[in-house]
Amino acid sequence: MALLYGLLWRLLLALLRIKRALVSWLRARLRNRSGSLWERVVAALLLPAALSTDSQKKLERSPVNGSRADSRRAQWLADGRALEKLPVHVGLMVAEEEPSFTDIANLVVWCMAVGVSYVSVYDHHGVFHKNNSRLQEEIVRQQQNLLGLDGSKYNVEFLSNGGDEHQHCVVSCRPTVKVLSPEDGKHSIVQAARKLCHSVENKERSSKDISVSMLDVMLRESKNITDPELVVKFGPVNSTLGFLPWHIRLTEFVSVPSHRNVSYEDLYGALQRYGVCQQRLGQ
Amino acid sequence: MSWIREGELNLLEKIASNVLKAGPMPKHVAFIMDGNRRFARKKNMERQEGHMQGFNKLAETLRWCKQLNIPEVTVYAFSIENFKRSKEEVDGLLDLARQKFERLLDERENLEKHGVCIRVLGDLNMLPLDLQQLIAKAVLTTRTNNKCFLNVCFAYTSRYEITNAVREMAWGVEQGLIKASDVSEALLSECLYSNNSPNPDLLIRTSGEVRLSDFLLWQTSHSCLVFQSVLWPEYSFWNLCEAILQYQLNHKSIQKARDLHREEQALQQLEADRACVADLLQHQGNGKPADAKRRQEALQRYSVSREARVQDFLQALKQKRNNFFFDLYSEAVSA
Repeated sequence: MALLYGLLWRLLLALLRIKRALVSWLRARLRNRSGSLWERVVAALLLPAALSTDSQKKLERSPVNGSRADSRRAQWLADGRALEKLPVHVGLMVAEEEPSFTDIANLVVWCMAVGVSYVSVYDHHGVFHKNNSRLQEEIVRQQQNLLGLDGSKYNVEFLSNGGDEHQHCVVSCRPTVKVLSPEDGKHSIVQAARKLCHSVENKERSSKDISVSMLDVMLRESKNITDPELVVKFGPVNSTLGFLPWHIRLTEFVSVPSHRNVSYEDLYGALQRYGVCQQRLGQ
Repeated sequence: MSWIREGELNLLEKIASNVLKAGPMPKHVAFIMDGNRRFARKKNMERQEGHMQGFNKLAETLRWCKQLNIPEVTVYAFSIENFKRSKEEVDGLLDLARQKFERLLDERENLEKHGVCIRVLGDLNMLPLDLQQLIAKAVLTTRTNNKCFLNVCFAYTSRYEITNAVREMAWGVEQGLIKASDVSEALLSECLYSNNSPNPDLLIRTSGEVRLSDFLLWQTSHSCLVFQSVLWPEYSFWNLCEAILQYQLNHKSIQKARDLHREEQALQQLEADRACVADLLQHQGNGKPADAKRRQEALQRYSVSREARVQDFLQALKQKRNNFFFDLYSEAVSA
């Protein structure tokens, strides 16, 4: 009997995985608008969310310059204003193996174009963290491609993880990109705890002085990280995988199946989802 | 209504449960039971009635978990942020809690029969004294049960919990039990209110909201998160099965990520120990760099002594926490 249940379980999981693969394949095909009628029908059954038919989708990733770029920039800015609320800090969490730098760079550029002032990028292997400069180059390149700008006009500030820049104003007028890794999560909390315990050891303060706001200020200021209002998670894994545990207490999580060949629509959909959510804050 | 809902699964449910049990099952599931008030509005009932229905659903869910061999459940019953609600609603919720904990004491034999151990996690000194005493009684009464565990987060937020853990470690330093350099991720975990439980494997939030609302932020860093749109009082056995399936689909990749994190944690501990030992040798030494063998031996000795310090500290912390409950209990009894 146990054998039978085992087989049934394997079958069930296999079916679910097939469904997931089918859905993402269909999504990709429909985006390219090359799907047959049959594919569209099946997609409509499997993808309950309405699919955009904007023909500009494919063109969104192609390089532009001049007035074309200006109109595209204006459109994206208008999109941002059309939302009920726009997050100040968006976290892009990649829960897939072998992340694509180009796609992440695109996402960062789109976020900034829409009006998000602080974007962080995270993966739990720390790949982006280890290849920080490569990501920066890619972002600058995509800025050029998508927005037709040279580096100086639309300044992006890359916050390093030096940890000594406490005087930075976090909500700066220039969009900011921050690359995060698991070290910025629990490890940072432990470091802050160690610091506080050292000051207790040196009789600089008592344990009773330690409060939530004290710890909060330490964690936000030491590495210049604010609470993300929205985290867009890319990939099939349903977990935060160590992303900033302290900072995500009120963060909305929106999932996108994959970051590979991600479209502006995928990102905008997530921002729209954020725009309509209601936070009651305990009340 | 009772904490224990008697009942059996029907045939279809039994089959589904056996199929699920053929795969990896979560050993600890956490619930954010959201949607009571929206349910009440939907059914044109009073809010308080919505919360009552919510409690009944909790009792039913506990039975399903038991039948699915899930030994531990943690629920978010009352957040510190909920104190911001209207006085009427807060009083209503605290009264409901009083009722339920009193009922729990009445059912203690039944709870013992099922082996249910109840723990309450939170900043309990924020609650009225009589409720604190009731909670202490409930916790102490079911303390020795060990078949299944229900952790009720009451007057709880994760940030307060983490801050409290840091404060406890600082207290340990003040008492001379540990050094500041002993502070580590593992030690912080041991100082949380949830230190008697493994981290949740699965976290479920109902009512369609997609945030964590300051619940178990530390403990769920590598848990499977499932957001379901059903309102809590309408939660069904099939919703639970759906969530468990999600857990099973994600199991391998989350396990990999957990293992990776554990390795990094071990490395960080080793680095920290090495740094301390290097410091020590420098102070003790005579200017000559110590040879590798001596360093290795010193490292070994240091790790062992650190572990011993930490164990003594954790014992003292456990004693402090037990005393908190015993004192409340004896106050209640003598009153």
